[in-house]
Amino acid sequence: MAGGLSLYAEGSSFLHRAHPLTKGVLMLSAVALAFIAPSVGWVIAILLLLLALVTAAGVLRRLLTVALAILLPLTLLLLAVQGFANVNNRTEAFALGPIVYYREGLAIAALAALRIACLVCATFLFSFTTRPADIAEALMQRGLSPRMGYVVQAALQIIPQTLDTAGRIQDAQRARGLETEGSLPRRARAYLPLMLPLVLSSLVATQERAMALEVRGFGLAVKRVARFDFADNTYQRVLRWLLAVAVPGAIVARVVGWR
Amino acid sequence: MGVLNAFRVRMNTLAIVLIPVCIAINWAGHALAQALHLFFLDSVGTVLGGLLAGPWVGGISGLLTNIISSGSTDPIAWAYCGVAFAIGIVAGIGGYYGWYRTWAGRITLYVLIVLVASVISTPININLYAGQSGVPFGDALYTGMVKSGWPTWLAAYIDEASGDIPDKLITVVVATLIFFGLPNRYRSLFSVWRRPSGEPEPAPAS
Repeated sequence: MAGGLSLYAEGSSFLHRAHPLTKGVLMLSAVALAFIAPSVGWVIAILLLLLALVTAAGVLRRLLTVALAILLPLTLLLLAVQGFANVNNRTEAFALGPIVYYREGLAIAALAALRIACLVCATFLFSFTTRPADIAEALMQRGLSPRMGYVVQAALQIIPQTLDTAGRIQDAQRARGLETEGSLPRRARAYLPLMLPLVLSSLVATQERAMALEVRGFGLAVKRVARFDFADNTYQRVLRWLLAVAVPGAIVARVVGWR
Repeated sequence: MGVLNAFRVRMNTLAIVLIPVCIAINWAGHALAQALHLFFLDSVGTVLGGLLAGPWVGGISGLLTNIISSGSTDPIAWAYCGVAFAIGIVAGIGGYYGWYRTWAGRITLYVLIVLVASVISTPININLYAGQSGVPFGDALYTGMVKSGWPTWLAAYIDEASGDIPDKLITVVVATLIFFGLPNRYRSLFSVWRRPSGEPEPAPAS
């Protein structure tokens, strides 16, 4: 974990080179469309499109290893519960002894699982091809407060350090005889002696960090200058608008009667 | 007057620097909870940030925690970032009124956080997981209730709440205990809200 939180994979595909905002809009619209689309066919089409983009970015193998670990248990749980218990269940599909499974519930579970697959693929597509620092920088150039930019960047740096500290505190408290196994109340009681030193040490550092930032002009009310610009072009601008308009368009289509 | 003053803040550098620390506490708290096989416990930092420095610090910490974790370990987390934001806002209002000082206040804080978390999560669960919450115990409850003819939304709510009730209890208890474990200096250092001249400060803790 200490190697950093980012999932970014170096690459030179057109997706790696695209403006961070284009990829962000693509992710949000793809997820929104997957949940607005009415039938399995449409959702599969969106999923295939996303997988094609993932392949083009050269991160398909990476995606499959992480995405399947998340999606497989979820899909099984959805199929097991909805196929058995859902208000729409009418037609029997098969029976495992006394437990009867129904077609309607299984279909609902499959649709939900495919939509979640779209969500997972779209999110990973974005995080595999975009540096977290770039998205913060791009948003700051579009008017996000530089203070919020700092918050994101600093969080990405502090989290791995804090996780290291948490590991050390855990070892230290175990060495002093803290019981970390057993019944639920006992484990819950062990949580506090682990958290308290962690929080104290991280809070104590904040005041120093605030002063260090202040003397470097962090609080000054002046306009910041960007160190570099992201390559942007008309195609990407048009694409962003098209993707953004597609979402309300799809909602209107659903209301009018897209089945 | 009233609750809106809690939102009228000057975000000084100290409050800004507190946000990434709260996000990191959320992460480490979640990691430690995983090691102890406890619940999610991914909002100790959010609640603590809210208690210390008000609703915006708490809310932004919660929001960004979910966004950052969906960029690394859990891609589905960003769907729930509104829940984390609301928890931070509630904790911040509690901090502004000094609810941590009395038992009635602590219980109010806990009940409100559970309500906000479960009420906002339920429609997301219905759209995402057809009403389930993904936690085996809650989903077993859900299956039983739907089978015996309960409406899906009610089963989905109880499914979600069955996870939130113990999870947020530990979160609020741990966050308040840590809050009281802090040196007094820190507690006053971070309170960034501007109280109108007429309104009295809550008495210092302990």
